[in-house]
Amino acid sequence: MSFKSVVGKIYRNFLVRRILRAFGVIFVTSTLTFFIIRLMPSNPIEIFINQMMAAYGMSYQDAKALALALFTIDLDKPLHQQYIEYLINLFQGNLGRSISISPGTPVMDIILAFLPWTLFSVSISILASFVLGVITGIIAAYRRGGLFDKVMSTFAAIISAIPGYLIGILIIVFIGVQYGLINYMRGAYSAGIRPGFNLQFISDVFLHLAAPFATYVLSTFGGWMLSMKASTISTLGEDYVTVAKAKGLPESRIRTQYVGRNAILPLFTSLAIQLGFIFGGSVLIENIFVYRGVGRLLWSSINARDYTVMQAVFLIITISVVVSNLLADLIYGLIDPRVRVGE
Amino acid sequence: MAVKTAVKEKEKERRAIITVRNLSVEYRTHRGIVKAVRNVSFDVYEGEILFLVGESGSGKSTLGFALMNLVPSPGYIKEGEIIYHLDGQDIELRKLPLEEQRLFRWKQVAMVFQSALNALNPVLRIWDQLYDTIQAHDPNITREEAYKKIKYLLSMVRLDADRVLKSYPHELSGGMRQRVMIAMALLLDPKILILDEPTTALDILTQKNIIELLKKIKDELGLTMIFITHDLSLAAELADRVAVMYAGKILELSDVYTIFYNPKHPYTYALIKTIPKLTSIDEELYPIPGSPPDMINLPPGCKFHPRCPYAKEICTEKEPEFEQAGPNHYVACHRWRELKFER
Ligand SMILES: Nc1ncnc2c1ncn2[C@@H]1O[C@H](COP(=O)(O)OP(=O)(O)OP(=O)(O)O)[C@@H](O)[C@H]1O
Ligand code: SF4
Ligand SMILES: [Mg+2]
Repeated sequence: MSFKSVVGKIYRNFLVRRILRAFGVIFVTSTLTFFIIRLMPSNPIEIFINQMMAAYGMSYQDAKALALALFTIDLDKPLHQQYIEYLINLFQGNLGRSISISPGTPVMDIILAFLPWTLFSVSISILASFVLGVITGIIAAYRRGGLFDKVMSTFAAIISAIPGYLIGILIIVFIGVQYGLINYMRGAYSAGIRPGFNLQFISDVFLHLAAPFATYVLSTFGGWMLSMKASTISTLGEDYVTVAKAKGLPESRIRTQYVGRNAILPLFTSLAIQLGFIFGGSVLIENIFVYRGVGRLLWSSINARDYTVMQAVFLIITISVVVSNLLADLIYGLIDPRVRVGE
Repeated sequence: MAVKTAVKEKEKERRAIITVRNLSVEYRTHRGIVKAVRNVSFDVYEGEILFLVGESGSGKSTLGFALMNLVPSPGYIKEGEIIYHLDGQDIELRKLPLEEQRLFRWKQVAMVFQSALNALNPVLRIWDQLYDTIQAHDPNITREEAYKKIKYLLSMVRLDADRVLKSYPHELSGGMRQRVMIAMALLLDPKILILDEPTTALDILTQKNIIELLKKIKDELGLTMIFITHDLSLAAELADRVAVMYAGKILELSDVYTIFYNPKHPYTYALIKTIPKLTSIDEELYPIPGSPPDMINLPPGCKFHPRCPYAKEICTEKEPEFEQAGPNHYVACHRWRELKFER
């Protein structure tokens, strides 16, 4: 077998092709973010130099030398040179140091401080919302036209038309302020409390999770419910469901193996796409509740023009979205036998 | 003469296994009420093959579903009786508790569906879909016993059990899927088998194979079959008796010989003329002029009168009764006594 045909064969393999394509997407996206970030007005290193000069009376040269020593990037170099240095660092796993939100701190440390909170809050919320939406959707489909269906479908339609941040604000105003719970709607845990593996801290964390959790769930629940309802109704009309009834199968088996499994399939794609955002969080919701997540980190790094942090956050979001799409395809192949992975 | 007495003898033996009286089935749609089956009465005899023939939309499938009390929503049985005479008992399926209905279906009366391609659950292997059928009616059966039964039936429909059982429906051809459905229908040795256009979704060669298979089953198992089709020529091959349906009503019902050689209803005659004869290639075909009526706004009087070349004034005013026109011959036409059709 010639070298060319071996390469061709490997490329034709579905998995290999998908992974190669995933790398391509990550590369292109991080390149684009690199350049777009540098198109933004104002230069963070210049700001840092000015701050140093103002605060410590340094000369421009001294301040500039300090900046060069502290940060691994030099914005005065030509763009293409900066880009090549960025790529080389990236391949070595070096994300650089923060420029403005915490000058000199390795970006990796900052990410590691924020990422777990987003992972925690968003994954719990997405899963809860998905499960609730799917169950309500199935019940509504089975009782379509009934009271439960009418009430829940109307509720879902209204709630999914309201943007998430607005729901967050409403929660703050009508629950936080009214019932004096506003303290639990700021941050990921109370200011005075020491993080640790004890009941006090854990319950405090969950109390602080409640409001962003409710916001995430309320803003996505309606979509899940309505798609599941539509999908279930169309599955109920499928011939194989009528066959299952004609075969005299028990209702429980029809509901799970014939209706449920088929109706949920189309929702998995959207779920996988949502899971991609576990790493990115929601900028608006995290900001409303001052939640220590990646979304909030992104927001403050944009405001402070912290190039290195922005690059890292965008990179994480890209990777997680691409990887979850890849996983979605693979999992879809497992749960839907019609989609064959391998060829 | 001898033939005639033989027919007479057979007549006396005939025992109704299903009695249908004044059955009406409707669908409630946003356009209005579809009267899919209108006040239909007939018997199904034990061991016979009764054909239900009619154009698309005449209510054949609806009648089939009604027999299993499985009219899909938004349909419902408006009135009438369907009584099964089984093991010396008269059973009205509709009046049984749900759990008894479930156990009655498939055990006593099974069905092969119109759309072969969609009648199997896409996410379950064939084995699971056959095994769950047996298990639903006999929870204590061992896998080995079930496997033996399944294997026997699959070989009867000429399928390689070990290959087919592991497959998902999409991995099988249309003809194979229809064979699986036939095997599935025979799994519990039902007394009655309803076949709703078992060949329409298939290519012509596969159709032939399936018809051959059904002939074999007819000879070997001798069960009662209700065969639904729009293809009258199939009746010539398989039927004992034929019921011709039009706009939700049976217009003519008799043994297959009478239907073909001595039809009394203009619609039956028109249907026969649409059959191409293989013996003469250049013979003219006579498609029935006009189209079937709108099932929501049916014409007054005889529903066939807008298309009937023999229509008279009375035909536009009064719907004809379903009358006896001979031994075991029933017809619904005002003019059946006068009309003579030359062949
Ligand atoms: N689920 C439904 N909702 C509303 N109307 C229906 C439904 N199913 C059937 N109908 C209507 O009832 C009438 C009879 O339909 P049915 O399916 O019984 O006809 P059919 O004789 O089996 O036709 P085909 O040869 O096309 O299968 C048609 O007018 C059809 O439009
Ligand atoms: S009743 Fe009249 S219109 Fe109807 S089939 Fe007979 S002759 Fe034709
Ligand atoms: Mg039909």
